[in-house]
Amino acid sequence: MPSEETRDRTRPGPRPSGPSGWFAIPAPLARLFKKFPLLTYPPNELPARSPDIRDVATLYVFISDSDALKGLPSYNPSCLKWQTFLKFARVEFRILPSNNHASPSGALPFLLPPSQPNDVKSQTPIPSNKLERYALAHGASKIPDVPNPRLEAYESLLDHRIRNAWLYSLYISPANSALLSQLYIAPVSRSAHVRTAILYQLRRAAEAEIVRSTRRPAIDPAVLYSEASEAFRALETVLGSGPWFFDSSEPGLFDASIFAYTHLVLDERLAWEDRRLADILKECPGLIEHRDRILHDCWE
Amino acid sequence: MTPPALELHVWGPAFGLDSIDPECLAAIAYFRSMIPSGDWTLIASNDASVNPNHVLPALLHQSTWTFGYSNIVDYVRQHVDHDTGDDLIPLQAADSLAYASYLTTRGQGLLAVSLYASPSAWAEITRPAYSSLLPFPLTWTVPPALRSTAVEKAEQLGMGYLAAEVDTDGSPSPGLAETTSTGFLRLRQRLGPAATMHPEQTAAIRFQQLAQDFYSTLDQFRGDKKYFLRDEGPPTSVDFLAYAYLSLMRVETPHPILKTALEKHFDRLSEFIGVMDLDKEREDLPWQQPPPRGALGLLGNFSDGVVESIPGVGESWKRWRRGGVKDIDGNDTKDFTHAIVTAGGAVISLAALGATALFRSLPPIGASIHRFEPPKVEETGLRQFGEIGAMLDGLPVWQ
Repeated sequence: MPSEETRDRTRPGPRPSGPSGWFAIPAPLARLFKKFPLLTYPPNELPARSPDIRDVATLYVFISDSDALKGLPSYNPSCLKWQTFLKFARVEFRILPSNNHASPSGALPFLLPPSQPNDVKSQTPIPSNKLERYALAHGASKIPDVPNPRLEAYESLLDHRIRNAWLYSLYISPANSALLSQLYIAPVSRSAHVRTAILYQLRRAAEAEIVRSTRRPAIDPAVLYSEASEAFRALETVLGSGPWFFDSSEPGLFDASIFAYTHLVLDERLAWEDRRLADILKECPGLIEHRDRILHDCWE
Repeated sequence: MTPPALELHVWGPAFGLDSIDPECLAAIAYFRSMIPSGDWTLIASNDASVNPNHVLPALLHQSTWTFGYSNIVDYVRQHVDHDTGDDLIPLQAADSLAYASYLTTRGQGLLAVSLYASPSAWAEITRPAYSSLLPFPLTWTVPPALRSTAVEKAEQLGMGYLAAEVDTDGSPSPGLAETTSTGFLRLRQRLGPAATMHPEQTAAIRFQQLAQDFYSTLDQFRGDKKYFLRDEGPPTSVDFLAYAYLSLMRVETPHPILKTALEKHFDRLSEFIGVMDLDKEREDLPWQQPPPRGALGLLGNFSDGVVESIPGVGESWKRWRRGGVKDIDGNDTKDFTHAIVTAGGAVISLAALGATALFRSLPPIGASIHRFEPPKVEETGLRQFGEIGAMLDGLPVWQ
């Protein structure tokens, strides 16, 4: 009799636990999260203060207020690439300063086409991956669309080797931190704590991007710069003596992508302290001429 | 006998190829073709931590480590006295660099989708392949880490969603008829084609497009030439790289999209693999057993892997152990903020662990609470009259 009683006392209550007690999500939490999303709202309309009729397309880029008024080049390579390309295509547009939080896709640039009232379609922003089609459809000058098989290969040089060196140079190199905070951190907040946090986040994000692209766990600037130098020399070789890349008669998207980096590296208005990338580029006179040509055609 | 000067450390063989990793495979093919087999040894160390940079393939020559395919090729060209045949005109050199970069970035992304991110390929062929390469406890830590980096690559191609585990809990059990909140029978959702397809099948259309773009870029570049850069002369470094990527793309996976696209539409590239296969000499590779790791080293690697997979702390730990940013002289710089963030991460993880333990010790929320108490002994006979009754209870007359 007594043994029966003690067994009753120690026997645990009926527990609805799954196969693995510790790592299973607790049932009430699982039930709660299964309910989400409760409701998906339709996209917000544009704020009331935005003008109903925009007769000219607007490209939102990273730029300072005063530069935006003058229509100067953006200081962000991917924004500058599209800004330049839209100029090549002679699309009529103006630029406005913005930041990533304002963009529907989370990244700048994006373009709001000229809108008519009550036309919902004209209020849809165009993200950067659809800008090429937009420029070809709305531009005054038709950009020759000559697919070149080598273009994709050379694009990978730009998107990896040169971009990695750019990321290191601007975001991680301690000498350039003054420039970094002038471009990306000071416009965001005046609080010192927020600035420190943002600087930390930006650096970590840049590091993660480089590590992901190079497949090497450590970031060695000497290697990054020498890889970028090889890439610039290869681009110089393939440019040859022609005015534009791949023997095209008109500048195209690839020229705009190259210009986005070469211009910013050589730009005197940016206070580069660590000038190694510019020194590397100085050994490629063809690319410098290419940059000067575009700067002259589009901005002077 | 002096040991051969060049030691190539790689990931070991899988899928009937000499290595599971494209760059290692390219390095093996390059060495096999360029260097007499007495002059080098091949070690399937399967352990990126053999060299200080934590990257395979790695080359050890006169106690200098070189890592990564292109660095190794450069090193061999400069330091080893063999005819490597890379006498290229500048435009060819530029093309070689660009296509090598294209192969290692786009090719890697495609392989990441096809061999790692795709759940069925991972479960059926890739993970078993790694399990046969790695010693016991490391099979728990290394393959998942490799997969998570591959999934990041797949994300860059917009295909990362493939890897998400399919949640099967939510499907109602077939036996019960469900009712809506108003008491009507709920009709079961019609299973359209999209709902019954494997994730690989829904992604197939986009993936096939990416694969065809990749192949046609390579195919147009090579044209009718024997090798990628030229018709005459020995193959160059980019040929071995292309050979390695294309061979791994031809691996038979559960959903062989890469393989089918290659074999159906790009005969010239399939022929190229055949040419390279013919080129490689039939002599055996100079395989050598890797030095035994020892229980301590194995345990160290394992605990490293375990710590790296703890959310919140793992990233910082990885960065601290082998990553980080070097300054221009190649020294590690460790910043102070990072240490703070790491410590914060550790504290938060511990707090989360504690909270979980606390939660586990509580009774399940929402379940009805049962209390178990010892049943009261029923008081009968004279006992119900208190102490005196109990004394009298012992008397035989009342039994």
